[in-house]
Amino acid sequence: MTGKLDRGPARADILQSLSGLLLVLFIWGHMFFESSILLGKDAMYRVTRMFEGEPLFGKPYPLLVSGVAAIIFVLIAVHAVLALRKFPGSHRQYREFNAHMGAMRHPDTTLWYVQVLTGFALFFLASAHLLVVFLQPDNIGPYASSDRIWSGRFWILYALLLVCVHLHAGIGIYRLAMKWGPIPAAGSKVARRRLKLAMWGIIAFFLCLGTASLATYMYIGRDHAPHAGERYLPAHQQALPGNT
Amino acid sequence: MNRIPLRQAARTLRIQILRHNPRDPDSQPRLQTFEIEEADAMTLFIALTEIRERQDPSLQFDFVCRAGICGSCGMIINGRPGLACRTLTRDLPEQITLAPLPAFELIGDLSVNTGKWMRGMSERLETWVHSQNLESLDIDAMEAAMEPELAEQIYELERCIECGCCVAACGTARMREDFVGAVGLNQVTRFRLDPRDERSDAAFYELVGDESGVFGCMTLLGCEDMCPKDLPLATQIAFLRRRMAATT
Amino acid sequence: MQIIYTDVLVIGGGLAGQRAAIGAKRRGHDVIVLSLVPAKRSHSAAAQGGMQASLGNCLGAAGDNEDIHFADTVRGSDWGADQEVVRMFTHTAPKAIRELAAWGVPWNRVARGEREITVDGQRKTISEPDAAHGLITSRNFGGTQKWRACYVSDGTGHAMLYTMSNQAIAANIPVHERMEALALIHADGRCHGAIVRNLMTGELLAYVARATCIATGGFGRIYRVSTNAIINEGMGAAIALETGVATLGNMEAIQFHPTGIFPAGILVTEGCRGDGGLLLDCNEHRFMPDYEPEKKELASRDVVSRRMEEHIGAGHGVKSRFGEHLWLDIRLLGADHINNNLREVKEICQYFLGIDPVRELIPVRPAQHYSMGGVRTNHRGESPQLQGLFAAGEAACWDMHGFNRLGGNSVAETVVAGMIVGDTIADFCDSTAGALQLSSALVQEFGERERRRLAEIANGKGRESAFELARLMQETMTAQVGIFREGERLEQAVASLQELQLRSRNIGLRSSAPGANPELVTAYRVQRMLKLAQCVAYGALQRTESRGAHYRADHPRRDDLNWMRRTLASWPSADARLPVLTYEPLDIMKMELPPGWRGYGARDYIEHPDTGVRQQQVDAIGGGLDRADRHTRQEALMPFRHLLPEHLRNNNERLGEES
Ligand SMILES: Cc1cc2nc3c(=O)[nH]c(=O)nc-3n(C[C@H](O)[C@H](O)[C@H](O)COP(=O)(O)OP(=O)(O)OC[C@H]3O[C@@H](n4cnc5c(N)ncnc54)[C@H](O)[C@@H]3O)c2cc1C
Ligand code: HEM
Ligand code: HEM
Ligand code: SF4
Ligand code: F3S
Ligand code: FES
Repeated sequence: MTGKLDRGPARADILQSLSGLLLVLFIWGHMFFESSILLGKDAMYRVTRMFEGEPLFGKPYPLLVSGVAAIIFVLIAVHAVLALRKFPGSHRQYREFNAHMGAMRHPDTTLWYVQVLTGFALFFLASAHLLVVFLQPDNIGPYASSDRIWSGRFWILYALLLVCVHLHAGIGIYRLAMKWGPIPAAGSKVARRRLKLAMWGIIAFFLCLGTASLATYMYIGRDHAPHAGERYLPAHQQALPGNT
Repeated sequence: MNRIPLRQAARTLRIQILRHNPRDPDSQPRLQTFEIEEADAMTLFIALTEIRERQDPSLQFDFVCRAGICGSCGMIINGRPGLACRTLTRDLPEQITLAPLPAFELIGDLSVNTGKWMRGMSERLETWVHSQNLESLDIDAMEAAMEPELAEQIYELERCIECGCCVAACGTARMREDFVGAVGLNQVTRFRLDPRDERSDAAFYELVGDESGVFGCMTLLGCEDMCPKDLPLATQIAFLRRRMAATT
Repeated sequence: MQIIYTDVLVIGGGLAGQRAAIGAKRRGHDVIVLSLVPAKRSHSAAAQGGMQASLGNCLGAAGDNEDIHFADTVRGSDWGADQEVVRMFTHTAPKAIRELAAWGVPWNRVARGEREITVDGQRKTISEPDAAHGLITSRNFGGTQKWRACYVSDGTGHAMLYTMSNQAIAANIPVHERMEALALIHADGRCHGAIVRNLMTGELLAYVARATCIATGGFGRIYRVSTNAIINEGMGAAIALETGVATLGNMEAIQFHPTGIFPAGILVTEGCRGDGGLLLDCNEHRFMPDYEPEKKELASRDVVSRRMEEHIGAGHGVKSRFGEHLWLDIRLLGADHINNNLREVKEICQYFLGIDPVRELIPVRPAQHYSMGGVRTNHRGESPQLQGLFAAGEAACWDMHGFNRLGGNSVAETVVAGMIVGDTIADFCDSTAGALQLSSALVQEFGERERRRLAEIANGKGRESAFELARLMQETMTAQVGIFREGERLEQAVASLQELQLRSRNIGLRSSAPGANPELVTAYRVQRMLKLAQCVAYGALQRTESRGAHYRADHPRRDDLNWMRRTLASWPSADARLPVLTYEPLDIMKMELPPGWRGYGARDYIEHPDTGVRQQQVDAIGGGLDRADRHTRQEALMPFRHLLPEHLRNNNERLGEES
């Protein structure tokens, strides 16, 4: 044929999905690390230090965290820009889609709308969170985080972010599987039902995990409120005098 | 001994129809309600025919085969697209709302111009076997052999009756008028599968490798769920997406 | 009035019309196809079971060839067919199927090795040879000696029509959809196109063409219970009739299909019985062997339908609140087979009856299915009366079906006829006779006439309801001109139809909506349908014999002595109340296969003196050539190849047969 295909649309679609996939994997991992607080302040402390590169370099470099935050931000930006193309672009489109969704009462169509809404919300919520992480990478830790969440009232942001991101990520992964997945036509109905079940399971799991850790941060934050700003000392250092 | 399932208590159906005659300058889209007695094994074809014959002879709708095989009678039945001729009223509540398929040009009342849309789609996606040797075909000679399973697989995808339900069920198609819909994407996979069609992936990419083609599909899956022929649309679109994404 | 000029106007976008269009287009002529509906929705799409072509690939078809297909078709027709046309047809059918195969139809293929089949209620294992692997396979159908019905699962017509339509789109042939031909423009024995109504806007247009081809399918909807689509109202045949010049052939030859689901009349394919399904009565007794010990469920359609009605008449029907019916049992074929090969049947049962045929019996009763009659043409598809008018497919009567068509022969006919008639049309357009030669006054005159006719209905103050008249006509036909016909009832039918015809001049409309106006459509169509119905009823009344699907209870024997002739109906005066019937003899002395017993059904018939003479001739010629190959022998009996377009004359290649 012509030999000059416009690969743009293919690349854009791949990139949209790939960025989504990476973000999902990141956020799931992030949830496990961040909920290390459930295992105790020390666990969380160690995780924090780990990400600041202490095991590697012998001392923490919070800038590393800023770096990761920047990368993630770029990923989100790329993903959002690509996904934005799919948003209803005009009032007419929006009306058409809404009428369509309302009449059809079709779960997967509605789920897409949920993705659009949560995506839209994430645009602000995730940016806010990332900004904090980016600007104050050293301000992460059992007390620092808890104080931010309780005394700094960040729990409101996180509660919203939690719901949005997990709905968005769960649905997104399901969509990715349906969108690209080499599912044999013969068993596709069954496969889809299973995927859907898995999606809800994953969403529920992370919402529970997130709620539990957020609650834990909030408890710690409330107890620590009088000393807000004070940094956490891991158990093995607390014994050493003169180490503030 | 009668095993034709019968419903005992007769219901009075209230059928609400979205009426509009674009040829009539005075016509405004409006809902009109008709009441009819339900009969045994009544389909929407029977119900609508009765309404036209007894109550309102100007009512427009399309039926051809009345047997679920020609794809003429797609309409929105209580919010969802489906084939009216094979929808039994006993599977519906007493209150039934009918509207024309959206995304197609309205001819009048429940009648829409799916034919024009489909012809446009066919022309655009070139849904026919492209082969060099069709010109000089020797029809006296034995036919070329084909694996039996392959023939069956092709037929699997060929079962589409171009009813337009998948287009009406697709939020993407509702938002973008140039989207080829699951029907178009499925037909492309049908010809891609067919060894008689000599087109390369690059050629197919030229047809569907953009936002109005396979990359426009947002995997809403309404098509798959509403297709009256149960075509494996989701897997076909996924397949096509993979092939097209891998095309250089 | 807008006037559209083209070389060729094809009225009808089914298999026949589109194939003819492709043929003419390939020869360089501009073609426009008209259709009431999008072409792919034409009723050809409904053919489920298969297309007959003697490929002889699979085991059940081994040894098949044109000769056997020919004999089956002639026997099936009860010797009513034009044997030359049957020869042309059986010779071209393998070519048609191979062409379609190359164009993209996914014909089911032979798979080497063992598989299980159901024959006569018994399971059997057969083994297909290696050599046939991947070639087009075929299934068993009623009235045939070999498995000859090539198929695409149970969507044969659908796959064929889609492939055909796609090729027409590839050839850039415009299909003007939702356009209805209302009248043929003609003068002095020459047809110039048609006056056409746009079914979306109600507007009238003129299509002026050098050649006009009618391919409008059947007219089953003159009956109440029919397997046909609701657009099969025979308008093509009717507008030919209304020229007053063109004739319709054998209109009384109407086929009833044994297995319409009850009561809707939707067809379940003959493939059900071909694959091993059985017919049962109220005691779930398999009754067909009692009547037809040899062919049983697979005797030809007319025989099976009659036996079913006879069995119901004898009190063995299953009673239900809609009337009586019988059962079709396909449970023995097994869930696998039904789900894979008879899926359409399964869907129909599920959606229209709410039953599962894997576990339950299907209520069936014969329903009107096919019209053997239609616009009379010669073997090339030309109307003998109106130059420039052609016909193909179910709408035509070039007469390859005689008084009964075999299952699977119809879709095959549509494509074969399309191939042949497409060439005929192109030849005509290339000839001097085919030049465009008419005055615009003539076009205006015909346009004006149709406009007036419509206005008369629309503005008339009549009181008759078009819907009501249509229903009465359909009921009359089903009740009195059905499977069993009888003089007195036919007379009543003729009288009722005449009365309805009078009433139809008095139709009043309740709606005057601009645009399509479905009530107006019914009104002008019912006036025309009544004429067709009258051709059927009156022809049936006059034909005092039983032949093929035309069964007269008061004349139960086939009468070759008096009725070896084809009925031709015309309607010279618009106000006439009856068609004019004339008869065209079939010359036994030219037949390759002189009349005899069909191999099923009644054995006694009234012989024509020529039959014996011709049979002796045939035996003598055959005997003299017993060393020659079958083609030479055939050629000596009844040459036909010269009748075909040149490129269709060669022998067909076959497995294990030198050509
Ligand atoms: C349920 C069913 C199953 C069948 N199964 C088989 C089978 O298995 N094997 C087999 O061989 N045969 C079968 N047949 C018969 C076969 O399908 C038909 O005879 C054949 O398809 C007719 O094709 P056609 O092209 O002549 O007409 P159709 O396909 O009926 O097409 C007619 C065309 O004419 C158009 N038209 C009609 N009137 C007008 C007008 N006034 N103006 C403009 N356009 C007009 C219509 O829109 C349509 O496009 C079956 C028939 C039925 C009803
Ligand atoms: C800034 C905010 C974001 C916006 C505006 C946004 C928006 C969207 C939209 C509209 C879609 C649907 C696209 C389509 O149907 O084609 C989508 C898909 C997806 N999103 Fe997001 N999103 C955002 C952030 C995220 C984040 C943080 C994640 C990960 C947790 C994520 C993961 C996904 C995934 C996996 C998909 C499916 C990808 C695909 O369909 O190709 N998104 N996003
Ligand atoms: C480099 C990037 C990131 C880092 C280092 C980081 C770190 C953290 C930390 C330490 C917390 C605990 C609370 C706090 O300290 O404020 C937290 C909470 C949270 N983060 Fe992040 N985050 C990052 C990116 C993201 C992104 C991209 C998202 C989603 C779009 C996200 C969603 C959340 C949510 C929902 C919570 C609340 C968790 C809960 O409810 O338990 N984070 N993050
Ligand atoms: S894919 Fe299904 S829903 Fe879409 S047009 Fe074809 S049959 Fe109809
Ligand atoms: S509904 Fe539409 S968005 Fe894609 S999956 Fe089906 S075509
Ligand atoms: S009328 Fe043909 S599918 Fe409904």
